[in-house]
Amino acid sequence: MADIKVAAYICKGCGLGERLDTDALVKVAQKDGKVPLAKSHDFLCNAEGVAMIRNDIANEGVTHIMIGACSRRAKTEAFYFPENAVARANLREGVIWIRPDTDEARETTQEMAEDYIRMGCAEVKAMTAPGGNPVTGSSKTLLVVGGGVTGMTTAIEASKTGYPVVLVEKTGALGGWASKLYKRVPVHEPYKSPADTGVGELVSQVLGDSNIKVYLNATIAKTDGAPGRFIVDIATESGATHTEDIGAIVQASGFTLYDMNKLPELGGGKSPNVVDQAGLEALAIAAAAGDGVIRRPSDGQPVKSVVFVQCAGQRDPTGTHLAYCSGYCCNTSIKQAMYFKDANPAVDTTIIYTDLRTPGNGEDFYRSAQEKGVNFTKGKVVEVVPNGATSTVKFHDLILGDTSAAMADVDLVVLATGQVPNSGVNIEVPAAPAEAGTVEVKPISILNLTYRQGPDVPQLKQGFTDSHFICFPYETRRTGIYTAGPVRRPMDIAQAREDATGAALKAIQALENAELGRAAHPRSGDLSFPKVRLEGCTQCKRCTVECPFGAIDEDEKRFPVVNESRCRRCGTCMGACPVRVISFENYSINTVGAQIKAVDIPDEFAEKPRILILACENDAYPALDMAGMNRIEYSAYVRTIPIRCLGSLNTIWITDALNAGYDGVMLMGCKSGDEYQCHFVKGSELGRTRLSKIDDTLKTLNLESERVRDLEVAITDIKRLPEMINKYAAELVAVGPSPFKGF
Amino acid sequence: MTEHVATNETILVVGGGISGMTAALEAAETGKNVVLVEKNPALGGRTSQLYRYFPKLCHPTCGLEINLRRLKGNPRVRLLTLAEVTGIEGDTGNYTATIKIHPRYVNENCTACGECERAVEMMVDDPFNYNLSQHKAAYLPNAMAYPQRYVLDPAIIGTADADRAKTACKYGAVDLDMQEETIQVKAGAVVWATGWQPYDAAKIQPYGYGRFKNVITSVEFERLADLQGPTGGRILRPSDGKEAKNIAFIQCAGSRDENHLRHCSRICCMASLKQTHYVREKYPEDGKSTIYYIDIRAIDRFEDFYQKVQADPSVSFIKSKVAKITEDEHGNPVCHGVDTEGYKRYTTPHDLVVLAVGMEPSVKGINIPGHIVADSSGFIEADPANGAVFGAGCASNALDVNRAVQSATAAALRAIQVVNKVAKAEA
Amino acid sequence: MSANTAVAEKYRNNFLKEIEEQVEMGDWVKMCMQCGVCSGSCPTNFQSAWEHPPQELFMMIRAGKREEVLTSSSMWNCTSCYNCIVRCPRKLPITHIMHGIAEYAHRLGMAPKMQPTRFFSGLFWKNCTNTGRVNELKLSMGLYFKDGFVQGIKNGMAMQAVALGLVKAKRLNVMELFSGHKCKDQKGIQAMLKKAYEIERSRKAAKMAG
Repeated sequence: MADIKVAAYICKGCGLGERLDTDALVKVAQKDGKVPLAKSHDFLCNAEGVAMIRNDIANEGVTHIMIGACSRRAKTEAFYFPENAVARANLREGVIWIRPDTDEARETTQEMAEDYIRMGCAEVKAMTAPGGNPVTGSSKTLLVVGGGVTGMTTAIEASKTGYPVVLVEKTGALGGWASKLYKRVPVHEPYKSPADTGVGELVSQVLGDSNIKVYLNATIAKTDGAPGRFIVDIATESGATHTEDIGAIVQASGFTLYDMNKLPELGGGKSPNVVDQAGLEALAIAAAAGDGVIRRPSDGQPVKSVVFVQCAGQRDPTGTHLAYCSGYCCNTSIKQAMYFKDANPAVDTTIIYTDLRTPGNGEDFYRSAQEKGVNFTKGKVVEVVPNGATSTVKFHDLILGDTSAAMADVDLVVLATGQVPNSGVNIEVPAAPAEAGTVEVKPISILNLTYRQGPDVPQLKQGFTDSHFICFPYETRRTGIYTAGPVRRPMDIAQAREDATGAALKAIQALENAELGRAAHPRSGDLSFPKVRLEGCTQCKRCTVECPFGAIDEDEKRFPVVNESRCRRCGTCMGACPVRVISFENYSINTVGAQIKAVDIPDEFAEKPRILILACENDAYPALDMAGMNRIEYSAYVRTIPIRCLGSLNTIWITDALNAGYDGVMLMGCKSGDEYQCHFVKGSELGRTRLSKIDDTLKTLNLESERVRDLEVAITDIKRLPEMINKYAAELVAVGPSPFKGF
Repeated sequence: MTEHVATNETILVVGGGISGMTAALEAAETGKNVVLVEKNPALGGRTSQLYRYFPKLCHPTCGLEINLRRLKGNPRVRLLTLAEVTGIEGDTGNYTATIKIHPRYVNENCTACGECERAVEMMVDDPFNYNLSQHKAAYLPNAMAYPQRYVLDPAIIGTADADRAKTACKYGAVDLDMQEETIQVKAGAVVWATGWQPYDAAKIQPYGYGRFKNVITSVEFERLADLQGPTGGRILRPSDGKEAKNIAFIQCAGSRDENHLRHCSRICCMASLKQTHYVREKYPEDGKSTIYYIDIRAIDRFEDFYQKVQADPSVSFIKSKVAKITEDEHGNPVCHGVDTEGYKRYTTPHDLVVLAVGMEPSVKGINIPGHIVADSSGFIEADPANGAVFGAGCASNALDVNRAVQSATAAALRAIQVVNKVAKAEA
Repeated sequence: MSANTAVAEKYRNNFLKEIEEQVEMGDWVKMCMQCGVCSGSCPTNFQSAWEHPPQELFMMIRAGKREEVLTSSSMWNCTSCYNCIVRCPRKLPITHIMHGIAEYAHRLGMAPKMQPTRFFSGLFWKNCTNTGRVNELKLSMGLYFKDGFVQGIKNGMAMQAVALGLVKAKRLNVMELFSGHKCKDQKGIQAMLKKAYEIERSRKAAKMAG
């Protein structure tokens, strides 16, 4: 902390000068904040004000800047000092805009502003401008796991961008699922007929690209390291292991068709003439190689009638089969019905569906099938009864209300079963002990990560490794490892190719930023990272267990090992650490703790309670800001500190606050649970788990449980938050002042 | 955010909605310089006008906050608002775009203190609320607006109100002499992410949009439900301000219809399913939703959401394209049609009818500079003839937010491929 | 036809193909996506007066319900208002299909004999092709006595005031009952009609032959 020079700048614009005694604020900065340089300015964010700060940096040796003006969310272009440590005391949205402009309110408003100046000074002094990560990797190679359409597209697109690729495919050939198709659904106008799969072209592009190294019959034996410096062992069929230096990974391990043998009521496995969609593609390919006539598997007779059963083993609310819709099967059945109709219009083709799902231009494809004479029947298939070479399809005709509708003598039945993702090991489900007499089928890991938290990418729901974020579909919980294609979400070829291209970008971005020591989403560009003071570490493993991104491993002595480029800088480790040895340069136990301690706590007779708010900077803090912008008033007794995530909440802050005589502490974090809205996935949940144990602390301190309040907050709670704050302030009055005041 | 000089290694992103912002940020965070052009005074686009997203029911402004923070901290993105690309000359790796910038009448000195807003009297329609309400002619487009800078409506210029705004501003931020300007920007590649517009519901004559006040569109309904919207989040009927508790949602209002839009707009089923949640949220006791549909397209994992809504007793599903809407003497819109599942005729009055309007690409009918290949619905196709102009988001297909972001990320890579090639050639 | 064959025929394209071949605009039936806007748009369909609205008829055709479709009175209810055609999102010429099916059922002799619109159509055709002019008195009396003599008298009594008014206004001539006016060239008309029937027959034969 050598050679720091702190300067405080207090703005008088936007009514701050009129509503507050800014001279007094300057004095507070000097006296309580102990900054050597404190100035006020009429209009700090204009060119002249900013020039004043820049001049002080250049000529006065100022390294640390405390700006007492508007919210840290406002005027970010003006107050952009990336080389310096900067703290913002929010006097505008956080003080004058939420307080009435009355004589009675003047004193408490001024006190509020003075506290924020004290807090800002304390915070900035506890900070350092992040110096960046010294342990960076610089591998620019992408590893693509899976050689299907998604994997090949990722490889080709990454190579086109100028990055070398290692592609690992577990079978003996590239192509994946799509290579088993006769044709695919069209992706261009006119959306009228099945199109060539394009797989051959992709395969030759991959094989002809010297920038793409392909391993066939190969799997990932081990993935070690972090973005920019993964070391990946690739096991090949011959038994040899190859080691590759990898910068980032795209997992495109695809899907397996839901097993139709689980659908005996639909004839699955009961007759060779009941097939799944893959089975029909095989028949179509066989036909194309011969006379073009699709034949019945049982006896080779030409198929004269075929029924497609949509949603077979899908959209099942009972939990027996797949609960979801795979999205692509309607178009696939339409395409397959066209195989018949295009070859011979006399073949009867019927698609039995409940909701036909052909989004976008798929509607044209649907229309085209109707024109070709494919029969569409809205119904629910109850049973498929094979009988010799044919089957009877029994269904409920939903339009004609006929519960016992049936089609007899059907030559071929196609079950549109869904996609089951090949996502490896579900690391969040403890392996169940094998029951006696059963053979345990263990899912095989795809990546074999050496990560402390498990060998594969965490799954979201139903086995898919999708992101839970609508705005950020690529966010897996393993930095620098992106999933793409049907392993991420059920999808068709067109979407998989788009997905692969996007994933290639994210992977490239991850390795580029890893090299620069910059964080990935959502704190993109952040150069800070957690530092562990190992001397104080008790090897309790909380940080390694709790990290939502699996960034921290353990060494052989069970000390935590932070892999900086896996870290997203949420601070959950810092919040989890019971001995407080984890910190960031610009965010630490101390940057928040010092602010808590800097607040002036009036004695119990002043009747001025103090409420500490620790607010998530992503949602709660902006909501409070917007309350200010809407001039919604709330209590002058609160002191708000933005935190990176509720997950970074260290309970020492609460203990410190209560010991210091705060009357109450409000925690504002995002929604947790299944439908979480936390940007760090598990952050708010982990923070809340920690909070649930706060009652013990309160008991030890002999304090009421009302002193700590957890609030689930959304960014839209602009009106609700002030209400909740005022309600809490009133409740605290009833509880009475904290007994710790004045100690 | 800075003023870096655009070169042919720069990526031009047209449109500052979620797709454009994503393309710009993903490219910038990969180390590329980007010029982001938005025609409105603030970023955010159509998603920022939504109350909640399906299927998580989370708030779009939450993701917008993250994206804005990414933008504020990234010097590689140069942002132009109130700006429109009027022409693109050149070829792959070497484009010059002509950009028309409309006057904001407020310069960078603005602190968003709001004094000008208090000073002026004139009220103008608020497009952020689909003109369901008005705001002052000196306004901040919305609470999340970025740039966080006021705008003067052109209608105010030359009036006493304009002078009042100018006088009220202590910071010299109001500049009434600002003129429209045209600039040229170089770029190696272009991402076209101009999004979509709701299909003009008035063209669906039997539904009476524009004739019956209580027939509104799904995008307008988002504003009614939004806590920051014109009703403060109360679902009230436009005709009389009464609480609308019995609400009909009409699917395929314009979509899947050869008289209107031939394509399926993909999002509308999920949007209506989501909106039934608003009804339940606002009127937990007696809210009632009816969805009139042809096929419920709750594609892939969205099926979960559909099943949840189906289990809700306050929501009914009728498989029927509503034939027409009339209005009864109480101003209630009445839906007429036949439930095709078993042929049941209905004539059902509702408090409010919400038309799940289709998605029309904003580029449709607009002469995109450079003769872009589009499909018959007007969506930009991936075609080599487009050179290094790449469609992203809903300019390229009828997409939900998730898929639009996916598409924008892919488009960013395609643009990066071009500028990387340029950089290599120049090195 | 055995019961088994009957099931086998269901939901097969046989009847749909028959409709496509035999019915004017019948090849549009397969394009219906069952949205139901036609059924809801039909102004004569108040209180579910139709047994089967158009969209349901189309589904029945696709389900192979030949007997039920062709003996149905439903398509005879169409008044050619064209609401359905205007609104159909698939642009099916529904009005024409309805008339086409009705005409086909008539041709096969399967149409319900006493269905009022069908009866009226026949009556009208006979009435006007006979003399080349419409005899309104005979036409309306024919319609009154459709369901028998007693009902005819009753219908006539019910319409008495209107009839007298028409007579007074010289819009109805009771003498028409005995001879009625004719066109000038009755033979010419008959010849034209004969030729028209011939042309239609040969056209249909050609269509059947493929």
